[in-house]
Order: sequence, then C-alpha cells, then structure tokens
Amino acid sequence: MSEKTAAKVISIENLSKSFGDHQVLRKIDFAVAKGEVICIVGSSGSGKSTLLRCINKLEQQTDGKIYFNGKEVEEKQREINEYRSRVGMVFQSFNLFENMTVLKNCMLAVTTVLHESKKEAFERAIKNLKSVGMAPYINAYPSQLSGGQKQRVAIARALCMNPEVLLFDEPTSALDPEMVGDVLNVMKELAHTGLTMIIVTHEMAFARDVSTRTIFMDRGYIVEDAPPHELFYSPKNPRTREFLSRFLKDQTEKTEAVANG
Amino acid sequence: MNFTDPSNILEWIVYLANEYKFMFLEGLWTTLYIAVIGTFFGFILGYLVGMVQDIKINKQDNIVKRIVMRVVKIVCVVYVEIFRGTPMIVQGMIVYYGMLQADIKISPALAGILVVVLNTGAYMAETVRGGINSVDKGQKEGAWSLGMSPMLTMFRVVLPQAFKNVVPEMVNTFLTNLKMTSVLNVIGVSELFLVAKTAGGTYYKYFEAYLVIAVIYFVICFVLNRLFLLLEKKLAKKKAYTLAVEYMEGTA
Ligand SMILES: Nc1ncnc2c1ncn2[C@@H]1O[C@H](COP(=O)(O)OP(=O)(O)O)[C@@H](O)[C@H]1O
Ligand SMILES: [Mg+2]
Repeated sequence: MSEKTAAKVISIENLSKSFGDHQVLRKIDFAVAKGEVICIVGSSGSGKSTLLRCINKLEQQTDGKIYFNGKEVEEKQREINEYRSRVGMVFQSFNLFENMTVLKNCMLAVTTVLHESKKEAFERAIKNLKSVGMAPYINAYPSQLSGGQKQRVAIARALCMNPEVLLFDEPTSALDPEMVGDVLNVMKELAHTGLTMIIVTHEMAFARDVSTRTIFMDRGYIVEDAPPHELFYSPKNPRTREFLSRFLKDQTEKTEAVANG
Repeated sequence: MNFTDPSNILEWIVYLANEYKFMFLEGLWTTLYIAVIGTFFGFILGYLVGMVQDIKINKQDNIVKRIVMRVVKIVCVVYVEIFRGTPMIVQGMIVYYGMLQADIKISPALAGILVVVLNTGAYMAETVRGGINSVDKGQKEGAWSLGMSPMLTMFRVVLPQAFKNVVPEMVNTFLTNLKMTSVLNVIGVSELFLVAKTAGGTYYKYFEAYLVIAVIYFVICFVLNRLFLLLEKKLAKKKAYTLAVEYMEGTA
C-alpha cells in the first residue's frame, strides 16, 4: 500500500475483473479523497457499472485491492457488511423494498444494521426525506411512486446510514426526461455538502459542472482522469476526444431537434 | 320416506349418516387435524428447505462450513426429489411399517401427520424456491448495499414478498392435503375415508357411504376455498396512501 492510499477514503489498486474469458476491468488504479465528487463517463459496456459494483463488493474482483480509509477491504461477509454500511449505493433501477413504505425503506437498515433506536431512525428518515423533497410520501409504497420519486427515496435511504461515500450507478438513466432534473438537483445539493461521491453518468453537463474530477473509461481501462474542465475542453487522449465529440454531436442534434420542434 | 327402514339410495344415505354420525364427525376431526398440523409443519419444513437451496456457498468461508453446507444442500435435493417422485400412499406404508420394524412405537395418526409433513415439505420447498426467485435481484442488492447481511435480507425483504407470491399455492396445498389424507386409511388412520369404508361395509352400502363423505369433503373444501379467496382479495388491496401533510412545508 502506498502512502498516498493511506490518506484516501477509497483507493483502488490494480483492480481487474473478468467474467469467464471476458475481461471487463483492466488494472484500474485510482483513489478518492474525502469530499471529492468523481464522475465516471464512457460508452456503455466500458465497465463503469462493474467498477462501481466491485467497489461495493457486489462483484468480486479477479485481481487487485480495494482500500477503505487506508485499510484493505477483506473478503469476510461480516467485514463486507460493515464496509457497505459506510459506503452507500444508488442504483439505476432504484432497488427499493417493494414490501415496505417509504418510511420503512429508510428506517430498516438504520435499526437492523446500525442498531440505532426507532426514534433515531425515524428522525434520520424524516430529515433525509425532507432534503430530497419526499417527506410527504412516507406512507406510500414504492409501486405508488414515479421513477424520479423512487430515486429520491433511494438516495434518502442511502443517506440515512450517514455514509462516508455514496456510489451512484446511472441514477437518472431509467427516468422520464422531466424527472431527471429533480434527481440531478438533489445530487448537486449533496455534492455541496461535502459528501464523497462516485457517480457513473451520461449527463455530461452535470459531470462537467458538478464533479471535482472526471474519469473517462473505455473498454475496461481508465483512459483519462482529470478535472472536468480539462477533460471536457482539452482532452489529452484521442479516445476521450472521440467519445466527447460523439456526445457533443448528439447534444447539438438534440438541441436542434428541440429547436425545430 | 322411511329413514329407519331404508329402501332407496337417499334413505340409505340419510340412514348411514345418522347411524354413524359420531364416527363421521370423529373421522372428519381426524382428517382436519392431520391436514392442519401436517400442512403447518410441512410449510415450515418447505420454507427451511427452500431457503437452504437459495443459500450460496461462499468461496471465502472455511472448509468445514462449506462441506456442511454442501452436504445439507445435497440432502435437501435428494429429499425433495424422493418425496415428489413417489405416491403419498406408498410413503405412508413405508414410514409406518418402517417405524414398526425399527421398533419405534408410533400411532397411525402420528405416522400420518409425519407423512403429510414430509410430503408437503417437498412440494413447498420447490414452491418457496420459485417464490424467492420471483423477487427481483435488485432489491437484494439494495439491501446488501446498506450493509444488511444475506440472512437479514432474506427475512426482512425477500421472504415477505416470496410469501405473498406463494400464498395461493399454500392454500392449494392445504386443500389438496385435506383430500389426500384419505390415502392414510391404508395404515389404519381412522379419518373420514376409513369411517366410510367401515360404515359402508356393515350394510354392504359402499356407494351411499362414500357419497356421504364426498359431500363432506366437498362442502369443507368449497367453503374454505371461498374463505381463502376472500381473504386473498382483502390482502391484495393496496390502500391509497395519505400524504403526510405535516411534512409538506417547503416541498413541491
Ligand atoms: N454478470 C456479468 N456476467 C457477464 N458479463 C457481464 C456481467 N456484468 C457485466 N458484464 C459485461 O461486462 C461489460 C461491462 O459491463 P458494465 O460494467 O455493465 O458496463 P457499463 O456500465 O459501462 O455500461 C459488458 O460487456 C457486459 O456485457
Ligand atoms: Mg452500466
């Protein structure tokens, strides 16, 4: 472990992941300091989700190490649970508990994993649901909410654990366009609170404006890792350039399509 | 109509029903309690086996734990296959006479309950496994990502939903068991079927005696089925939620 690793909240060294013969992540190296907001961009299939899932131990890496606050995350179930209670994750498909109300969704892990009192769990739930604008819906079941509402509840649920790091895997990709803004705004506010965040997203404007560092991934490699203005306006790697130009073209076309009705 | 000196089918039915009413009632009671107790413990067994089959063996666990898990899983699979692959009537014979030969004193009724439990457990295990699989994997990952253990996730998130999906099949299993207890007459359990056999044999009026219990079986199953359907409908109804107005300030 390098000295650099010790000072970081999360650091990843030499991480590789294969599914059978198919190598999805290749020698990934990067570290996240407290308060950083990192956006990971890249075309689909480049391994972004797999990277986040490895960080959260939902996938087991084939090779390499993950350190949390300078300590290697071990493969024991108990340690993994402990670690996960401090590193939250927000999924593209929300993954709320369908058999529980919004309030119960937010309270369950606080009482059962952190062993906090019901009262404390309730207060945390209300506080965080308020911050995402979902407090009035405490009695609703997930199936009674829209996608954007579900995702905001999912964020509140993760926040109730008081996580040190929050991972987001394309949190707005499954949403109707008119809901995307609400969720992005919530995330933007979170970024300003100093929470450490790693966000996989296709929302380039968001990545550019909110992240403190942007990572471009391609075919399992981290191709470029730079402050957003560098990565978006003077990308060093030709693959980054190609990806961004494709994105910019899409963007212009979209704008034109809107302009032309 | 002359019910004391019966001469036609209807009169015979009424005569038998009346003459043997206490035996029929006792038979019905036996049928019911074997079905209820057997199904109940069968469900528990089925849930246990179904859950065991869902447990993933973790490469990181120590070797003893992994071997134990593997053996338990194999035992479960073999058990389920055997009991699903043989008729209950044969299972009854084997359990009862096997116990006798092993010098284990067991009443026919207890042997009957045991058979129902084992049989129900095997079928329920498969049903429960299906119910567990029907809960989408995302919710599990959602729970894990909050630090919940696989066990906690199973009991708080997966099972409650699996249970809901499995309830209709549980009702079905119970009603099937109620009827299937009739095969237990072969090991001398005095449930409804055996009572009918006895009553019919006395006067050589089998047709009428079996008609009597057919009516009893039918009425019980019909009524219970309707009740369960009603209950199911009630459970399925999701009430509209009420907005918590006290938290409305400052939100859209
Ligand atoms: N569980 C899995 N089994 C096999 N292949 C997988 C699995 N998960 C992802 N992959 C493969 O890994 C590659 C990267 O996937 P993913 O990490 O989801 O990419 P991204 O999130 O960047 O779109 C894809 O080619 C995908 O097919
Ligand atoms: Mg993805």
